[in-house]
Amino acid sequence: MRKTLYPMLALMTTTLGLWMVTGCSSEITKPTQTEAAQTNEEKPASEPEGVRSPSMLANTCAGCHGTDGASAGEIMPIIGGMEKEYMQLVLEEFKSGERRSTIMGRIAKGYSDSEIKAIASYLAAKPWISSTVKTDPKLVAMGKKIHEGQCKTCHDDGGRVQEDDAPRLAGQWPDYTLHYLNDCRAKGMRCQPRKMGKRVSKLSDEELRAMAHYYASEK
Amino acid sequence: MMKYTRRKFIQATGACAALGTLATVSPRSFGQGAKARVIVIGGGYGGAIAAKYLKMADPSLDIMLIEKNPQYVSCPLSNEVLGGERTLESLTFDYQTLSRNRDIKVVHDTVVEIDAAAHTVKLSGGNQYSYDRLIVSPGIDFRFDKIAGYSAQLAEKIPHAWKAGPQTRLLRQQLEAMPDGGVCYIAAPPNPFRCPPGPYERAAQIALYFKHHKPKSKVIILDAKDRFSKQGLFMQGYKKFYGDMVEWVSGANGGIIEAVDPDNMALIGQVEEYKGDVLNIIPPQKAGKIAFDSGLTNDTGWCPVDQRTFESSQHKDVYVIGDACIAGKMPKSGYAANSQGKVCAAAVAASINGVAPSEPSYVNTCYSIISPEWGISVAAVYHLVNGSIVGVEGAGGLSPMDASAETRAIEAQFARSWFRNITSDMFT
Repeated sequence: MRKTLYPMLALMTTTLGLWMVTGCSSEITKPTQTEAAQTNEEKPASEPEGVRSPSMLANTCAGCHGTDGASAGEIMPIIGGMEKEYMQLVLEEFKSGERRSTIMGRIAKGYSDSEIKAIASYLAAKPWISSTVKTDPKLVAMGKKIHEGQCKTCHDDGGRVQEDDAPRLAGQWPDYTLHYLNDCRAKGMRCQPRKMGKRVSKLSDEELRAMAHYYASEK
Repeated sequence: MMKYTRRKFIQATGACAALGTLATVSPRSFGQGAKARVIVIGGGYGGAIAAKYLKMADPSLDIMLIEKNPQYVSCPLSNEVLGGERTLESLTFDYQTLSRNRDIKVVHDTVVEIDAAAHTVKLSGGNQYSYDRLIVSPGIDFRFDKIAGYSAQLAEKIPHAWKAGPQTRLLRQQLEAMPDGGVCYIAAPPNPFRCPPGPYERAAQIALYFKHHKPKSKVIILDAKDRFSKQGLFMQGYKKFYGDMVEWVSGANGGIIEAVDPDNMALIGQVEEYKGDVLNIIPPQKAGKIAFDSGLTNDTGWCPVDQRTFESSQHKDVYVIGDACIAGKMPKSGYAANSQGKVCAAAVAASINGVAPSEPSYVNTCYSIISPEWGISVAAVYHLVNGSIVGVEGAGGLSPMDASAETRAIEAQFARSWFRNITSDMFT
């Protein structure tokens, strides 16, 4: 894409010039189609020739995950503002089948590794918008205790801190958090990281619900 | 890459000249001072998205969305109204938030004429607007003539309910009024049509209502086709939840319906007559009326487009998205329209700014709810190869046949959350 940027700029200049000559525009803004995925992959002949831009790729996610990844609920996770490398890893795991899914595996297989990286970068740069769900104070209190005893070393600051191996939990839709925790508990020691699998597998249904409510309450 | 030819230069200046006279055409200030004016016709799954994403791509554009109805009722999930799991109100949206949040002018009126040469649209209310680019997302219309005796008028009594709204409610009322032990027939249309899994999800939702309220009743699908979307998964689900309450008659086995006899409440097939207590005829389909009236369709009854940009193959600066367009391997679905709206918005913004359209990427995801805790899906990721939209090899596909009850329950939850998100993508 770098290669084509110069002719594009040249054209833009021409276009701007024309608009000014015609004098019909009071406001000229920069063209927006300048983003591009960085990829050097060689593609077979049956593949498209062009590069799919990060916004082009990431906008296809919004039908399920909301505009810019700000999910409107309830079991669809918020992905806008999620840590970039974590999101990239998760998408790669969906693609390889390493991470179990109902539908994300089928979808992730439609993107190259560099496209997955572009999607993760694009969405990571968007603001995290916490869910507005009402939480149950009793469950929140119970969840907070468990968090402080067992989770906060990795999910610090009420689950706000994000690392490449620990996603943001604060403000996430509780149905999604619960879905993930249920899945983790079912896997037991196979849930990664193992120390989380070990801890989650000892929690009751109510305790998992409490975790989900607690993290949802931390905006 | 688009070239800024002398012809385009004249068009640009021509558009500017028109801009100067706009005030005399209409009292509205549409387009004054903006870099370019884009009109979007149709505020559904395609049009609302195209308008919003165009504004996101280039806030300096002036965008007008022309939609007949002040409220939008979603077709996706409307089968749940028949099953009794959902109200029509939960599927109803207005355009105020979209208009306010995204600075889109929303006009509730019907377009009666598109003059592609003059770049103008005329509304039934008398107003006329000029555009630099026009996006048309008109949805579908029905080929009533393919079923003798059926018509738009008769559909008020024997509903198609294939545009969600009063007919959805009517069909539900007819099911409620039906005696236990009765039969509801669904006549399913030939390809291509809006929402390929829709008639089969509908059968499941009607059976769900029967199971709870009229367990001796039956729903029978009379199909123009010999196979259908997610067939294995639907048949498995029917059997599991509804036993022999749901039947499917393929086209080869007499499912093709040629006429309706409303006085005897009968559907006339090629071989047999089917007398029912409730009839639901989903007629063969074509592109929405305005597409026909403005020369955007070809002899298939649908709109050929450049599948990279969705620009009409028949009119320059006019783009067609959603169910009405011919979009390669993509089905006529809400998600497909959403995805096409975004690709088209990016292409229109690029065209206005004189740059090449970005390489497109498209997705489709369709959920169907067979019973409240039993969802199934089909998904695909598409790209453009040699000018045609095709699925990315190795990606997409159906929910597995052997999935656990837990997985099906999660997919049903995903279906409802999908609805929340795609409608928030459209209307906020």
